[in-house]
Amino acid sequence: MKISFKITAKLLAQIHHDLSHPHPFAAERIGFVQCQVAALHGKRLLILAHEFHPIEDADYLNDPAVGAMMGPAAIRKALQIAYAAPMCMFHVHRHDHRGDPWFSHIDLTENQKFVPDFWHVQPKFPHGAIVLSFDSMAGLAWIPSKRTPIRISEFSIVGSPMRFLGVRQ
Amino acid sequence: MNTRFSRQSFLGEHSPETLAHSRIGIIGLGGGGSHIAQQLAYLGVGHFVLYDDDRIEDSNLNRLVGGTARDVPLRTLKTTIARRTIKQVNPTAKVVEFPTLWQHDALRLRHCDVIFGCVDSYSAREQIERTCRRFLIPYIDIGMDVTESPIGCVISGQLIVSIPGSLCMRCVGFLNEDLLTQEAARYGAAGARPQVIWPNGILASLAIGSFVQLVTPWHRECSDMIYLEYDGNTQMVCPSNRLKYLTDKICHHFSSRTDLGDPFWPTGV
Repeated sequence: MKISFKITAKLLAQIHHDLSHPHPFAAERIGFVQCQVAALHGKRLLILAHEFHPIEDADYLNDPAVGAMMGPAAIRKALQIAYAAPMCMFHVHRHDHRGDPWFSHIDLTENQKFVPDFWHVQPKFPHGAIVLSFDSMAGLAWIPSKRTPIRISEFSIVGSPMRFLGVRQ
Repeated sequence: MNTRFSRQSFLGEHSPETLAHSRIGIIGLGGGGSHIAQQLAYLGVGHFVLYDDDRIEDSNLNRLVGGTARDVPLRTLKTTIARRTIKQVNPTAKVVEFPTLWQHDALRLRHCDVIFGCVDSYSAREQIERTCRRFLIPYIDIGMDVTESPIGCVISGQLIVSIPGSLCMRCVGFLNEDLLTQEAARYGAAGARPQVIWPNGILASLAIGSFVQLVTPWHRECSDMIYLEYDGNTQMVCPSNRLKYLTDKICHHFSSRTDLGDPFWPTGV
């Protein structure tokens, strides 16, 4: 299965703006993007970003071993958002460099722990994680019929100008 | 060395790849859409999804690019004529034809990067823009009209580029409920509307320029909303005056989560 991800340039700018804001103790900021989904021809899936939900300052755990750690309240609030509206939830954070980003080992381990939890509240939707750099992005999606995450193959940033990232097929 | 695109190298080092990977939908392959298909093929666009349920007839030969006198007795589909035109210019282009109303088989449209609408009615434009917003696809619309006035005939037209996340055709006043209601009341009584090749060519070329600036820009002045008005009598193209009086720069017509994505989800994946 091929997965494409689309986001408007305005929403992406809003996310970058929020993630750039320093936190009292965490080294980086995190949040969730609430998304809709659409089927494409040829067993493809399209994820469409709708709204960004930043993690509130008080909901970070002070863990110097990682850049940012969500506390239980952050997870609970994200699950509540997912429960309230039938949509996908994608965790998002940024690695502060240019060029193509990818998840760290800790990112991958943590994602595997909490992303499937969203199926408890929205079992028929894909959920996942996005990692940004200053000028690019990458991501993984967990889809209900598979146990292992699938790499998102292409990203479209919809604005003027358009930007296309990943493998165009 | 392949020099095919050497004269458009100012569009950027990667513009041939960007254009070759672009997936473009064209709805309506008459006077406007046939020009657009041809120009996209010359640019090097690699993927086309074509929609038109109509076949060529004698009265189309004054403006249908690629249409020939031999096509008329054969009643060749307009999608087939566009496909032939594209393939003659760019044999490697992937062209998917839908000789049907686009609403009947719209799955392929969802994957397009940009959709061109070359349709006659406000309601058709409204439906296409609504679909484009649902799947976050920029929509480029062109249209022309010839009306009678005391000074003679007046040729007019417009180009609108509607980009998800920015102002829509309702925001700029091109579409409204009154127009849609009036049009619905006239349904079936429109008759044959005057159409000629050169305004179609001008508007199609403006649309292509907007498309290129969107996907592989050659200058830095990018705009989130383009609304150009064409006065075919003075041969002038100007930004619509309506843009000057917009106080709100945020679209409130397509901001709900229900305006996005597959309306029939969840299907389970």
